[in-house]
Amino acid sequence: MTTTSLEPENTVNKRYVKALRSSVKHIVTFALIIGLWEILGQNGQLNKYILPWPSLIWAQLVDLFFISGIIYYHFYTTLAEATIGFFIGITIGISLAVSAAFSPVFRRYIAPYAVIFSVTPGIAVTPMIIAWFGFGWSSKIALAALVCFFPPFVNTLTALTRTDEDGSDLFRSMGASKRDYFWKLQFPNAIPMIVAGLKLALTGALLGTIVAEFVSATAGVGILMQRFAFKLQIDGSFATLLTMSAMGLMLFTIMEILDYKVVFWKRDSRLLSVSRKRAAKWRRDHGNIPM
Amino acid sequence: MTAETSEVTYVPDRENTWRFVPKHFAIFLVLMSVWELANRMGLADPLMFPRPTRIAEGMLQIFFLKATVWEHLAATFAKAMGGFIIGTAIGMGLAIGAALHTGFRDYLKPYIILVEAMPRIAVGPIFVGWLGFGYGSAIALAALVCFFGPFVNTMTGLMQIDEESEELFRSCRASKKQIFFKLMVPNAMPLISAGLKLAAAGAFAGALVAEFIQADVGLGVMMRRYVITLNMDYAFSTLLSITVFAFVLFRSIEIMNYRIIYWHSEELMQRKSKRRASEFAGIINKQVSGTGGQ
Amino acid sequence: MSDSLQEAGEAVSKPSATNSDVVIEANALTKAFSEEVIALQGASFKINEGDFISLVGPSGCGKSTLLRLVAGLIEKTSGSVKVRENEVTEPRTDIGMMFQKPVLLEWRTAVENVLLPSELTGKITDEDRSRAIQALHLVGLKDFEFHFPRQLSGGMQQRVALARLLQTGADILLLDEPFGALDEFTRERLNIELMNIVDGTATTSLFVTHNIAEAIFLADEVMVMTPRPGKLARIVEVPFERPRSLELQLTPEFNKIESEVRNILGSYV
Repeated sequence: MTTTSLEPENTVNKRYVKALRSSVKHIVTFALIIGLWEILGQNGQLNKYILPWPSLIWAQLVDLFFISGIIYYHFYTTLAEATIGFFIGITIGISLAVSAAFSPVFRRYIAPYAVIFSVTPGIAVTPMIIAWFGFGWSSKIALAALVCFFPPFVNTLTALTRTDEDGSDLFRSMGASKRDYFWKLQFPNAIPMIVAGLKLALTGALLGTIVAEFVSATAGVGILMQRFAFKLQIDGSFATLLTMSAMGLMLFTIMEILDYKVVFWKRDSRLLSVSRKRAAKWRRDHGNIPM
Repeated sequence: MTAETSEVTYVPDRENTWRFVPKHFAIFLVLMSVWELANRMGLADPLMFPRPTRIAEGMLQIFFLKATVWEHLAATFAKAMGGFIIGTAIGMGLAIGAALHTGFRDYLKPYIILVEAMPRIAVGPIFVGWLGFGYGSAIALAALVCFFGPFVNTMTGLMQIDEESEELFRSCRASKKQIFFKLMVPNAMPLISAGLKLAAAGAFAGALVAEFIQADVGLGVMMRRYVITLNMDYAFSTLLSITVFAFVLFRSIEIMNYRIIYWHSEELMQRKSKRRASEFAGIINKQVSGTGGQ
Repeated sequence: MSDSLQEAGEAVSKPSATNSDVVIEANALTKAFSEEVIALQGASFKINEGDFISLVGPSGCGKSTLLRLVAGLIEKTSGSVKVRENEVTEPRTDIGMMFQKPVLLEWRTAVENVLLPSELTGKITDEDRSRAIQALHLVGLKDFEFHFPRQLSGGMQQRVALARLLQTGADILLLDEPFGALDEFTRERLNIELMNIVDGTATTSLFVTHNIAEAIFLADEVMVMTPRPGKLARIVEVPFERPRSLELQLTPEFNKIESEVRNILGSYV
């Protein structure tokens, strides 16, 4: 229990200085690791077919992005496949979950299949998906959708079937319809878990796409990676891996931003700005009401 | 670094499920019959969607008559297990370091964020390139894929002790070691075991993907071969064996977790209470008779 | 009137007490968490052996900080705090603590929780074990020795914590709103039980609360604290005989002290 006072300006400045100092520390460490790695490579301590050093990887990156420029085609293919698969998967997952949440009978009869689904790794069906949908983009989308459908399904179902007796009593005491109860209480309450499910799903979609590309494909970062690896151009593989990581980071960040924006009430840092916005809106819309 | 603490497994109400077993079974039979009939009537391509009886026959073949599945099952199990052990050891080791040492945690953080966002399975071809088609590459990939769950969960678990508990221990002059083993570790156990469950799923998936890419033995190879030769009934049987295997693996981990975190189960607590009471009774009786003799 | 109300800042002690009876002594004790956040400023007081002292004040007045400084859990910024004439620099074995939360290890049975202090200071002996069982009986938990915390109610969990405090063998008890999270009835009962346990022993207690009536009812002296920055405003003596009963709270004398304390706090709350 300490005396809490509002934070004065200068501690905010101090915090920035501290953050800057710590990032400098990180950059220096990173530079040291890269430098050491490079020196070992240049001195012939490393085998370029096993662990290529930073300058080789950098050269491959430059080639992929600026000289030959072949990465773009593969990058966009994978990105498109993963995104479409993601939307199909989550649409199916969430609609199934909502139906299951509203119909106990339906919920009961899909339960055993859901258990089976939850334990089988989705990517295990990759070869079959390829056989069914061919080597093109449709098989990638199908696998992405399959892999990413489950987390939103489980999370949505769990969140919607969580019993909140007080909340339900309150809504009934106010004469709310079932629909009001769903849209004004159940659903908003479920949003944090649904978003968490979507985050997992997006990672899954990218993973499914890449694995499908490994097994059989004509385009995509997965196949590019595999070609490099099998030609023992490990520097190229590393460059592709970095590109994939960037793609993952990008998608991941989008989901984090979504989470940050949508689930504002779980974050203290967001509450102040949202409440200011709402206050401004109130004043704009209802300025005539005395306060 | 968001802790992936939610487990994505579906836990139905057990009692309810059992009560409806006959109905479930009936529905399953109807579904299968429709599938079978559709196949026989030529409504579904038997090459792509083999009929249930053929899949059942395939199961019989690969498990008992030809008994081909065992070798592959053992291989995949060994790869997944090896990867699981290595990945978990690395993940938990790093997590302990990060939880106990703020500086180390600071340095680790950016790399962890990168590794989290990276599709880790994508490293598969590089591992296959380095380590060949055998066990090495699959174990490495399984380890890489599965290390993250135990890492995040162990770290989060170790760090989530509340201030008062720590103050209680310190006020009793507990050593750092005592705080770690008697407070932090048991307190983290529920999260750690959830992490292990995630890791098992990851290791299995990692091993399978490595086998899809290139391998000489394993369920992934088996399945891929059947698909390529368009032996879809056997491919389905293999998929079914993968499911069975995964189910057994998961259930064993769940049972293990249930036993380890006994203080979350009313039934186990009651049993343990009784056992500890009887252990204690001996000591107390001895003590009481000892003082009584004075 | 002027006897029972004394200015803090100047150290207070009972006239009869000799210096050797003083167990806790603080002089201009100050704790600042940063330049801006001063949790406790210049607290001076003396507590004699066997006294029951309540620390009362609103949130953020530094009660818990003061307690943790005495316990040696946090470091002071300036001033001094001595226990038995030794400057406090680390937790001591003659000090035991109890918190608002029971802080039980939920993977251990009640008796194993009570045994924790013994376990942390050495190997558990059979004597420790029988003392733990006795402590549990004393706090009214016979037949619950082997229950796990999750199987006990909030009040029972706090009783286990009390038994664990007794098990430490400490004769200085630092209690940080120990029953604050319980319902009114349970709280009153536990207060009385605590008083019965401590009464007539040489145990010195420092009891933090934000409930004025509770503070007065339990204590020989009430230290009244005020916030922003946390300061020890006054020490009010409570002259009632022991043992006390709940009816005491209805007497005019009790109400007089209560309104005194309220007046001191009034300008801050």
